Amino acid sequence: MSESKASPGKRRSRRRPERRIDRASGKTDVDLVVIGGGVNGTGVARDATMRGLRVALLERNDLAFGASGNSSGMIHGGVRYLTYDPEVTETSCRDSGHIQSIAPHLLFRIPFLMPVPTAKKRFFPFIDAYFATYDKYQPLKRGKMHTRLDADELRQLEPGLRGDLYGGISFDEWGIDGARLCTANALDAHDRGAQIFVGRTVERIERNDTGAVIAVRWRDRVTGDGGRITTRAVVNATGAWAPITASLGDLPARRARVRPGKGIHVVFDRRLTNYAVMSQTIDGRTIFIEPWQNVSIIGTTDDDYYGDLDDVTATSEEVRYLVEGIARVFPGVRKGRIIGTYAGVRPTLYEYGKHEDALSRDHEIVDHGEHGADGLYSMIGGKLASFRLFAEEMVDILARRFDLARPCITHTSPLPGGDEQVDAFALATQLEIDAVSGRRLTYRHGSRSLRIAERVKRRSSEARTVCICEPVIEAEVRHVLNEEFARSVADVSRRTRLGLGACGGMRCAARCGAIVAEELGYSPADGMRQALRFLHRQAGTRVCALGPEQARQEALAIASVRAQMGIVGQTSLRADEDNAGLVTDANVDMEPAVASSRPPPLTKASGSG
Amino acid sequence: MFERVAIIGAGLAGVAAAWSAAQRGAQIQLFDGGVGASSLASGAADDRPWEEVARSIEVLQSPAIASALPESLRVFATDFELWRLPAAGEPLTRLATSAGRLRVARGHDRSLLDLAQLPSGSQVLLPRVSRPEWDADSLAAAFGEDAYASSRQLRFEAVDAKILKRVGEDRIAAADLASRHDDAERLGWLAERLREMLARSAGAKAILLGPWLGALRALGPRLSEAVGVPVGEVLGDVGGAAGLRFEAARASLLQTVGVRTIPYRVVGLTCGDEIHLTLENGEEVVTDRVVLAVGGVAAGGVVYDAPEQHAGTDIPERGGPPWRLSVDLAAPMQAHGRVLDVVGSIHGPPLDQVAWPVDADPGFLEAVGVRCDGLAVLGANGGRIVAAGDVVADKPRTVLQAVFSGVRAGAAAAGEPGTLIA
Repeated sequence: MSESKASPGKRRSRRRPERRIDRASGKTDVDLVVIGGGVNGTGVARDATMRGLRVALLERNDLAFGASGNSSGMIHGGVRYLTYDPEVTETSCRDSGHIQSIAPHLLFRIPFLMPVPTAKKRFFPFIDAYFATYDKYQPLKRGKMHTRLDADELRQLEPGLRGDLYGGISFDEWGIDGARLCTANALDAHDRGAQIFVGRTVERIERNDTGAVIAVRWRDRVTGDGGRITTRAVVNATGAWAPITASLGDLPARRARVRPGKGIHVVFDRRLTNYAVMSQTIDGRTIFIEPWQNVSIIGTTDDDYYGDLDDVTATSEEVRYLVEGIARVFPGVRKGRIIGTYAGVRPTLYEYGKHEDALSRDHEIVDHGEHGADGLYSMIGGKLASFRLFAEEMVDILARRFDLARPCITHTSPLPGGDEQVDAFALATQLEIDAVSGRRLTYRHGSRSLRIAERVKRRSSEARTVCICEPVIEAEVRHVLNEEFARSVADVSRRTRLGLGACGGMRCAARCGAIVAEELGYSPADGMRQALRFLHRQAGTRVCALGPEQARQEALAIASVRAQMGIVGQTSLRADEDNAGLVTDANVDMEPAVASSRPPPLTKASGSG
Repeated sequence: MFERVAIIGAGLAGVAAAWSAAQRGAQIQLFDGGVGASSLASGAADDRPWEEVARSIEVLQSPAIASALPESLRVFATDFELWRLPAAGEPLTRLATSAGRLRVARGHDRSLLDLAQLPSGSQVLLPRVSRPEWDADSLAAAFGEDAYASSRQLRFEAVDAKILKRVGEDRIAAADLASRHDDAERLGWLAERLREMLARSAGAKAILLGPWLGALRALGPRLSEAVGVPVGEVLGDVGGAAGLRFEAARASLLQTVGVRTIPYRVVGLTCGDEIHLTLENGEEVVTDRVVLAVGGVAAGGVVYDAPEQHAGTDIPERGGPPWRLSVDLAAPMQAHGRVLDVVGSIHGPPLDQVAWPVDADPGFLEAVGVRCDGLAVLGANGGRIVAAGDVVADKPRTVLQAVFSGVRAGAAAAGEPGTLIA
């Protein structure tokens, strides 16, 4: 994999950084409150902490809940933007290279094929030239140069391709698990002293008479507790939620305006192709089917979205639009088994009257000091590949504000798990788990998989597999609950991909719920309720893609869940309560023991530090 | 009296129909199209949804006492030998599920442990076994917190025990492990390990295990005898040992009543003076009456046939319901008391209702089926096609309901007077 060992062990010391800025310390609880646990929020929290600020991050749902965790899972170089946003392409490529060196374990190569039909034969030289231009950026991200392929070579590489093909182009991108990327950033920030609060929504950004921000009021969506953190600055990194967040500080929503673009992805039960294949939809948009981790994914749509941001789901029309778009070049996709869909909302830069696809993927920082709210900043736009750079730009502004001397080192310091390579097979042998489990474990956690191995050494029963499809072992579930801020079955799923395989969580959700309850001190009944909520939410993402076989599987799944768990009342099954654990109508009448059960260990120090 | 009766579907409803028609002297052809919901069953025998029963026990504070079963159902169950069904007046069955609940049931597969049979205050042991479906400690904790456990002071305790014998048994499928116990010697070895375990925990009154006790027959009772206390399974996932035991019990019952199964799927059915069935291998079969016991969506008898499946790059054809039978037979489909004649909107069926049931209401996947008038499929000539089991819209959704409808359908098809409500 990567030869990069950029950082010596010393820097990874998890001692809290010494207090160093007299101007920034003192009367307030923290120097900076970051709102939003997506890739931008966690990136800023990490960078700011590394430069010496005292940081608290508040996330309303879960890390990577929005666009960051529901993207195409690529830190691509943005070949698409080459014509109108070449600087976005360049920064994307450069930062893609940085991410590779700080988190080599999270990346996997996705080779792309772009078939060219005979009807478009005359464009072939142009396409070739276009990719030759893109080749100039490839070294920045250790990508391979493009190659010209004739029709036979194309079919040899991907036998499922159909149609009258003249030839094609191959090029190279990198895949990544967005949820893992956010978690790694949050973990690193936390290890260096930042406070990370998941499931806490901001109710109000308080400002003093001069308009400057002084504090943030929050409420915990699980326990119902509320509180106030005094701060000297607030960064609104809430993606598509940005206008709503800005309005909590009494700013007009238009001061942090985004053009919310919904994008959906369709997930298949296995890798259908070895290469990602590009195709055009009926309206001429470019989409692709990509092999991603252990599944294939079709993406994506881009439509203006004005619905509930906490509950975005794909529709059957969107699913069919994508499947038919791919079927033009790869008809086998129609016979594939869809096991789910996911949807997110991009926080694209606002422009009126432009087509969704033509909107800029660039980013910008709004200093609300211009609107009378000194100390409040909004991060608008951006994309996964350039999150680190965006965070750096944000923290540079903060550095000037607080007069910080330290430079940004986020591109040279490894993310948690990225410091050294772990031999997955040796690990599997040592833990007595199968090789696939071992490999998935090292993919997700890098060198931190050794901490999970430590758990198994202490209690060998934790080597048991919980989720067979992914697979996920018990020690990993317990690890993410203790170390990675997970508070529910859905949170565990985002961090481990538990329950996202072909069985839809039927075999593992109940078991995971029991572990969540045990680790966080909930009652077993609450664990079960969480499991049911997760299953219900997952069923909702499959329903729009149901075909005959899936329908049968679904009916069996319902029978299975009914037989073992029963279906509980609607109140505790509301999909929008994805993260709510204890405060539901269903358990208002429960024993006081439940109400007083200890809150989850949100701020527990990770590891031994 | 009809000589020839074809039964399409060899699940619980089909077997019950075969049993019932055979007793009336009909000449039976039973078509088995492959594994369906019955073969994937989990071991509970309910006569109505168990959550409803649990709720009525709770709300009405009624005692959890079994009511009488219809006579024909009781006789069938005696012959079938798969379940233990408490007699009227006895306490209802209580099963521990592998998801950590203690649920009520009307009866159970004989290998499952019925907690209602244990004296109050009993201690139940769960051996720690390294298997994916079994976390003895967390299961014991979950069962211990259940209201039923506290009402009867049942205590659950995880204890160390070595009950896996061979290398790799921590990873094989639960049903495979169950099948290894069919070997008498292996079962004896297990009984010995359990006795040792029991000796270390003085006073324990029962042992709860995963779904590992027999693929050919229920070994729970035999094991209990060998160990000296009740030993039984939890209610496991679908596709486990209980389904295999159903298949074994079915084979034995059909042999007793002299019915042979034909291992082909019926793909077409046409009604004339006689009824013609087309099999998947191209053969034609002629019969006088048909029992349609193909199952609901879970069993594959009712097919969800979304319009977009045939659409290709063209606009889908509209005008039909997105549901049909796996047999080519024009029969009206119905759900929630409404005949599904056309797709409701240009966007197809209400997808939010298709999938997961919300609240207590079943979704379309559970409720949709053939509309029946009495037992006869509406519109099928002269009541010569009768339906049984989950293929009937809105009606049978539990094991015992399916069996009861099968028994009645078999009798009706064999021409028993009075069974067919015209």
